[in-house]
Amino acid sequence: MLSRRDEILVGLGVTLMAALILWWLIPTYVTIPRRVPIKALSPAFWPNVIGWVMLICGLAVVIRAAMAPPPPDAIADDLRVSRPEAARLAALAVLLVATFFSLRTVGMVWTSMVVFVALVFLTGSKNRFWGVVAAIVLPLALYFFFTKVAGVAIPQGRIVRLP
Amino acid sequence: MTFMEALAAGFTLVAQWESIAFLALGVTIGVIAGAIPGMSATMAVALTLPFTFALQPIFGILLLLGVYKGGIFGGSIPAILIKTPGTPASSATALDGYPMAEQGRAGEALSMSLYASCIADLMSNLALILFAAWLASFALNFGPPEMFTLIVFSLTIIAGVSGDSLVKGIIAATLGLLLATIGLDFIGGTERFTFGSVDMRGGLNFVAVLIGLFALPEIIAYIRNPEAKEHRVRGMGYSRLKWPDFRRSLKSIFRGSAIGVFLGAIPGIGAAPSAFLSYSEARRASPNRENFGKGEIEGVAAAEAGNNGVAGATLIPLLSLGIPGDVITAIIIGAFMVHNLTPGPLLFVNNADIVYALFIGLIASSFLLLIIGAVAIRAFRYIADIPSDLLFPGVLVLCIFGVFAINNSIFDVAVMLVMGVVGYIMLLLRFPAAPFLIAFILGPMLENSFRQALLMSRGSLEIFVRGPITILFWCLTILSVVMIIRATVRAARLKREAARSATRVSATPKA
Repeated sequence: MLSRRDEILVGLGVTLMAALILWWLIPTYVTIPRRVPIKALSPAFWPNVIGWVMLICGLAVVIRAAMAPPPPDAIADDLRVSRPEAARLAALAVLLVATFFSLRTVGMVWTSMVVFVALVFLTGSKNRFWGVVAAIVLPLALYFFFTKVAGVAIPQGRIVRLP
Repeated sequence: MTFMEALAAGFTLVAQWESIAFLALGVTIGVIAGAIPGMSATMAVALTLPFTFALQPIFGILLLLGVYKGGIFGGSIPAILIKTPGTPASSATALDGYPMAEQGRAGEALSMSLYASCIADLMSNLALILFAAWLASFALNFGPPEMFTLIVFSLTIIAGVSGDSLVKGIIAATLGLLLATIGLDFIGGTERFTFGSVDMRGGLNFVAVLIGLFALPEIIAYIRNPEAKEHRVRGMGYSRLKWPDFRRSLKSIFRGSAIGVFLGAIPGIGAAPSAFLSYSEARRASPNRENFGKGEIEGVAAAEAGNNGVAGATLIPLLSLGIPGDVITAIIIGAFMVHNLTPGPLLFVNNADIVYALFIGLIASSFLLLIIGAVAIRAFRYIADIPSDLLFPGVLVLCIFGVFAINNSIFDVAVMLVMGVVGYIMLLLRFPAAPFLIAFILGPMLENSFRQALLMSRGSLEIFVRGPITILFWCLTILSVVMIIRATVRAARLKREAARSATRVSATPKA
C-alpha cells in the first residue's frame, strides 16, 4: 500500500498520461482515412475509448486516495531509493542500453558474457569464480543450441566470430 | 474426423519417445523452477517458450504444459520447507506444511502434497477431456458479435488478477489494450502509434512483451537490493506418510479437486482462491479442525488439491474458446500462435489430432509428476542452494537469447528491455502485471470482433444483442460486474477498518 501522497501522485501521473494519449498521441500518430463510413470503425475509435477509461481511472485513484483515511506509516510502502540502490540501478540502466547497442557490433555471445560478469560484480557476489565460469559456459551453450539445433542465426558481431 | 479417429491420431502423436521425453523434461524444469525461491511457474513457462520454436508443435506444447504442471507442484516444496511459497497458491500449503516441517514431519507433508497434487491434477485433466470438446462444439456457432460479448465477459477476468486495487488493475489493462493497438490497422491498413518505425508496423511481439513484463522486473528488483533473504531450510525428518492419514484425507482431496476444477474452468479466478477455499472447506468439515494451522496433514492435502485441481481446468476455456484462464495459460497461447495453431473451437476441427494428443499427454503428465516430484522432494536442498547472484544474471542472458530467437529481431530484445523497465515501475507503484498481459492478448480479438460485427450490421448496435448467446454473455458480464463491485466495496471497507485500527494502535502511548 502506497502512502496517500504517493497514491495521489500516481493517479495524477496516470491522468496526465491519458491526457497526452487523447490530445497528443492519437491526433499525431494515428492515421485516419479520409472517408470513415461509421465512426466506430475509425482506427482512432478504440485508442480514444481506452484513453478515456484511463483518464477516468486516473482521476478515481486521485479521488480515492484523497478521500480515504491515509494508511499508517507502518503499513505504507516506502518508495525512497537509497544511494547504493540508485547507483546499482543507474549502472544496470547503462548496462542494458550498452547491451542493446553492442548486440550487433560485438555479438550476442560476447555481450552476454560481459553482462553476466558485470551483474555478478555489481551485486557484490561471493561466487565470483563460478560467476565467471557460468558467464562463459551459458552463452556458449545457448549459442550452440540456437545455432546448431534451432537453426537461428545468432548475431556474431564484427570482432570475433564463432563456428 | 470422428472422435475415435481423432483419439487414434492423437495417440499416434503421443506414442513417440520424444513426446514423453519432452513432457518429462517440462515437468522436471517446472518442479525445479517452482522450488527455487524467487523463480515462479509463470517465469519458468515464459523462459521455456522460446526453446519450443524449433520443436514440432506437439513436443513444444507438451514441454510447456509439463513446465506448468511441474511448476505448480514445485511451489509447494519451498512453502513447506522454508515458508516461502513458490507460487501465490502455495501460500495455503504453507499454513500447515511449515508447522509440520517445524515438528520434523516435512517428509510426511511433502509426500501428502505430492499425492494430493497428482490426484487433483488427474481429476482436472479428466474434466478437461470431458468438457472442452463439448464447449468447443457449442462455440462453433459463434460469430463476431458472440465473440465480442464473450471477450467483454472474459475481460472481467481482470478483477480476479488485479490484487489489492481493482482501479489499478483496470489502468494496467488499459495500458495493455493500448499497446495492442500498435501497428497497422486491420481494416484500413493505416498506421497507429508506429512512430514511423517499420519494426512497429507488425505490432509488438507478444513473447517479448511477456518476458519483459514477468522476468525482467524480478532481475531489476534483485540488482537493486541483492542482499538475499536467509532461507532456513528445514530437514526432511524421519516421518513418512501413513496409510490411515492418507485415507482420512482422501475426502478433502476429492473435494479440493472438484473445487479446483470448477473454479479453474471460470476464467480469471486462478489457483490461489481455489486453494484457500478448499482449505477452509476441509477445516469446516474436519473433526480435527482445531489442529488446522498447527500442522494438520489434511490441511496440506486440501490446499494442494485445490491448487492443482485448477491446472487442467484452466485449459478448458483456452482450448475451446481461445480465452486464457490465467496468466500461465495466456503465455501458453503464445506457443500455439508460434506454431500457427489458433486455440478456440476451430482447433477441434482443424487440429483434432493435436488436441487429443495433448489430452493424452496431460494424463501422462500426472504420472510423470508423481515420479519426478518424489525425486525433487529429496533433491530440494541442492535446488534451493542455487545462489541468486548466479541465477538472475543467467535468467537475463536466457531472456536475451530467447527473445531474439523468436523473429531473429534485435528490435524484439529492445521491446523486452523496455517492457522490463515498465514492469518494474508497475511493480514499484503496485500496478498488477497480469491484467496488462491478459488485455494485451484479448485486445486485438475484442477490437476485431467489434468492428467485424459493425461491418456486418452496417453500423447498427442491435447486432450485439442479436440472439440468446449474446444476451447470455451480457447477463454474465453484468452479474460478474455486480459481484466485483460488491467484493471491492467490502474489501475497501475492511481495509479502511484495518487502517483505522492500526492508526489507533500506533497512536496509543506505550507504557
